[in-house]
Amino acid sequence: MDDDARDWIAIRRAVVRYAQHRAGRADIAEDIAQEVLTRLMQVAETEQIGSIMALAFRIADNLLVDTYRRERRFDSDLDTEWQSDAPSPDRVLDSRSAVMVFQRCLRSMPPLRREVLVRRRLHQQACRDIAEALSLTPEAVEKHITRGLADLRRAMARAGVAIEDMA
Amino acid sequence: MAADLRAIDEAAAQWVQRMALPVQDSATAAAFDRWILDDPRHVDSYARMVQLWQSDGLRQALAANDVPDSAATALGPRGAPHRLWRSAALLVPAMAAAMLLLIVAPPLLRDPVRHGAPPGAMRVVALADGSRVNLAPGARIAVRMTPWSRDVTLERGQAFFDVAHERMRGFAVDGGQARVRVLGTAFDIDRMEGEAVVRVYRGSVSVAAGAGRQWRLSAGSGIALRGGNATTIDGITGSRPDWADGWFDANNTPIRQLIAHLNRGAATPIRLADPMLGELQVTGRFRLSDPEDALAAVAAIHDLNLRRDARGLVLSR
Repeated sequence: MDDDARDWIAIRRAVVRYAQHRAGRADIAEDIAQEVLTRLMQVAETEQIGSIMALAFRIADNLLVDTYRRERRFDSDLDTEWQSDAPSPDRVLDSRSAVMVFQRCLRSMPPLRREVLVRRRLHQQACRDIAEALSLTPEAVEKHITRGLADLRRAMARAGVAIEDMA
Repeated sequence: MAADLRAIDEAAAQWVQRMALPVQDSATAAAFDRWILDDPRHVDSYARMVQLWQSDGLRQALAANDVPDSAATALGPRGAPHRLWRSAALLVPAMAAAMLLLIVAPPLLRDPVRHGAPPGAMRVVALADGSRVNLAPGARIAVRMTPWSRDVTLERGQAFFDVAHERMRGFAVDGGQARVRVLGTAFDIDRMEGEAVVRVYRGSVSVAAGAGRQWRLSAGSGIALRGGNATTIDGITGSRPDWADGWFDANNTPIRQLIAHLNRGAATPIRLADPMLGELQVTGRFRLSDPEDALAAVAAIHDLNLRRDARGLVLSR
């Protein structure tokens, strides 16, 4: 481990933050980060990791799903209506009011941008295929997606759908 | 400021797209790590963007906008293949996740570093943090060091830990019945079947036995945990346990414990003709390297017979 130049402390800090956002609560973020880092370091000992942060976030996502499943099992007597494997902020984004906000925002976008988003997210088409079908360059497709997502984010923030407050 | 955040959101959205691909080249991977670690706001934005992109809410909103006539440009044929796409779309994220797991999962649960002492010999292990561990014959530990934690599991046997003091990083030993937490100190932990004994020689430790039961022990004291019972031990002297020098120090100790320790180092196993004999108590110092001599002393104290048969030494009434 001595020859490892990675800044594990900074990596850990980022994972805690990420887990806080994804979980929507602080109490499990530290535990999740601890487990993520332990696993990361085990992998790092033997494997070449492309993106350590991508792997870290992926492990955190999986652990969060596990955590919610476990907690749901414990709570199953109390709460049968609200059963979902998704962490709570995800449920916020799936709510009826969030869908309304998204729809309004999508309607106000240029139709081409909306079409790119529909093809990419809903139909899971590759950027290259979208570019071909719509006579765009792949760079333009990427621009449409990133701008579209930033618009959706801002729309959520304006509507006060509370994903920021939970972090 | 708002423009700043907008730029971060757009960058985050771009990374969500790029990192969703199952394979990235190493330059992209490194650039992503740099970007994430560069600014905490990048983590915030990325986390929210992942959430947004994957949300079922967005999927529903897009589906509502997916009306053939509303498209601004000429589109491919719709209908049956389209429905196929729709159901496939539900599967794709799961498949992407599965692929990623296939790539990275196998080594995730690799074991921590293990050290063991062979039967009949002690071993001293120097850990990466400067701590030293004396392993009794047959003892085995598993060590997991990270920049923020030092975790050891005493898988079996007995070990004496001389822990290098670190202000920020704790040192924990899981000994089955007892879990010991320290910063810097010296203590001995003996793990037996359904039983654990902790003795502190320097500094202080916190011992947890589960179910909220917890003790704070300082140098010179100890605790024996057996089932639900806890017995405190005092009068511990010296800077390390006698066994580390090859002695077993008994103080009204059941014979079974002495025999368990002798058996760790013995080439010839020792057994009791009657398990009840194990509850007889002894006091004194016994040399672990010479089981026959130690047992002869025990036999003399309690008027027992010591004999040798094909399987080893037997103590009987």
